[in-house]
Amino acid sequence: MTSPVVELENLKVRLGRREILRGISCRLGVSGVGKAVGLLGPNGAGKSTLILALLGFHRPVEGSARVLGFDCHHQMRDVRFRIGYMPETDSFIGNMTAVTFLRLMAELSGLPGEAALEKAHEVLFHVGLGEARYRELGTYSLGMKQMAKLAQAIVHGPELVILDEPTNGLDPAARQRMLNLVREMKEKHGMSVLLCSHLLRDVEQVCDEVVIMKDGMIVHVCNLEEERRSNKCFVELEVTGNDENLRGALPEIGADGVNEGGGRWRIVLPPQVEIQAIWDLLARQNLLVRKLSHRRDTLEEIFLKAMGHMGGRDSGAGARASAPST
Amino acid sequence: MAVYRRGYQRYQGLATGRWRRFMVLPRFAWQRLFQQRLVVLLTVVAMVWPLLCAVFVYLTNNVDLLKGLDEEFRRFIQVNGTFFLVFMNVQAVFAIFLAALTGPGLIAPDLANNALPLYFSRPLTRCRYVLGRLVVLFGMLSVITWVPGLLLFGMQASMAGGGWWRANWTLGTGVAAGFAIWVMLVSTVALASSAYVRWRVVAGALVLGFFFILGGVSVMINEIFRVTWGHALNPAWAVYRLWCALLGVNPPAGPGIGACLLSLATVVMVLALVLERRLRPVEVIS
Repeated sequence: MTSPVVELENLKVRLGRREILRGISCRLGVSGVGKAVGLLGPNGAGKSTLILALLGFHRPVEGSARVLGFDCHHQMRDVRFRIGYMPETDSFIGNMTAVTFLRLMAELSGLPGEAALEKAHEVLFHVGLGEARYRELGTYSLGMKQMAKLAQAIVHGPELVILDEPTNGLDPAARQRMLNLVREMKEKHGMSVLLCSHLLRDVEQVCDEVVIMKDGMIVHVCNLEEERRSNKCFVELEVTGNDENLRGALPEIGADGVNEGGGRWRIVLPPQVEIQAIWDLLARQNLLVRKLSHRRDTLEEIFLKAMGHMGGRDSGAGARASAPST
Repeated sequence: MAVYRRGYQRYQGLATGRWRRFMVLPRFAWQRLFQQRLVVLLTVVAMVWPLLCAVFVYLTNNVDLLKGLDEEFRRFIQVNGTFFLVFMNVQAVFAIFLAALTGPGLIAPDLANNALPLYFSRPLTRCRYVLGRLVVLFGMLSVITWVPGLLLFGMQASMAGGGWWRANWTLGTGVAAGFAIWVMLVSTVALASSAYVRWRVVAGALVLGFFFILGGVSVMINEIFRVTWGHALNPAWAVYRLWCALLGVNPPAGPGIGACLLSLATVVMVLALVLERRLRPVEVIS
């Protein structure tokens, strides 16, 4: 039986006198299928507080949070057995080699000594720190420390990995490597991922679902894949060759289009049709593609709408959301 | 297959038990501490006095070797409560220095490197973390306190015979209980200093300062106000007073057992409060 990875029920968290999370309710992800949920929002939206509440670091004043079916407050130990956490800030033990550090972390998570040492080596090679595994963590560069943090989060093979701003301070190449590792974690190893970031591109590249937060509330939850499909409408095409039959062929894939002359076409695709269908159709028509671009709603547009910077759609502070895919 | 060729696979095996997980922190800490030459050196030096005491016990139980000595002196050198009190006093000082050397390295680096979220995001509570660190110090200090103390007691009992053991068995329990109280106090002070100050050297100085400055302050109060209750402010004196009671030695002038226990309980509570406030996975600024 599948259960949501994260289940929040009117969750309220207060830090001092300030209410940071104001009664959040939602169900995110499906356990055991390797999906990634992105947590988006501007600074101060409550993303990190939500993560810390899921880890049991902040006690809810009202409501409840469940991770993989376990209550984050009352069944804290069960939750922590099943998760890996990569904090946003530098967190390590300076005068310890990477292997010893990871072995310590793995053993604390319940791995026997021998298995912990084996996994420590394994995961260090996996994140690209194999050659530097006997160096002290204090001597690592920022990018290496980020990788070491990721390594400690997955060394014990958790069901859910919580990543708080994993690409912070990384150069483009390292950033891409980090995102590839995250994608691999969910696709190859079946881990669920909760990725907190304010970088829309990171979330767009990796996540299947997105939660957008603002002022301690969830203002939008969407399934990115569905969102992409539903908004994939206009295709601008420029071809060479005899395109007289193209208009008649477009209904074959359920599309419609207008010839603007000179081999230029404007085509409208229904939501369920992929762009690949156009390519296949053009190949069958022996047409040479000079230009093909399609416009769709990007995550940035979704985010801005949710933040209330753009008109339309179901945005606005105070809106409660529930995920469509549970 | 070589690890670097195998690639990463999620661990699917069984998890270890609660106690095995609890001992992970002490095990790693001991491993690191005994890699420090100064720690090993101090531990070895701290064993010199117990060795000398063992020689003393041997001599007192071999009358033939003492024949040439004055009769009055022979009566003076006996293995009794005073002997163990002197032994404990010396070892207690070594325990302070060893705690000042090893204690700060237990928590301060974790705080300085923001490692607490990594610990507490695993099945490890704050309480277990502190207990784990306490076990590290308790183990280290046990090697130079109650373990040699009980060995000396056992040696004396075996050499002097069953009669001596029956008449003096309270000395053994006194040594064990007295040292246990001292080790717990010193360990808690070291941990609280380590949690309070993020720099190891300063934390070490704070441990020494705690005992020596409080001792100085209590003497000053007694001298200025011509009282004896100032000793209650000195945890080391309070423990000494407890030792006297446990070993059946005449106590020095000053507050009684009740006042000493109250003083120690207050100190431990304050130190526990420091640990509770400082050891949090995230800092909340209200």
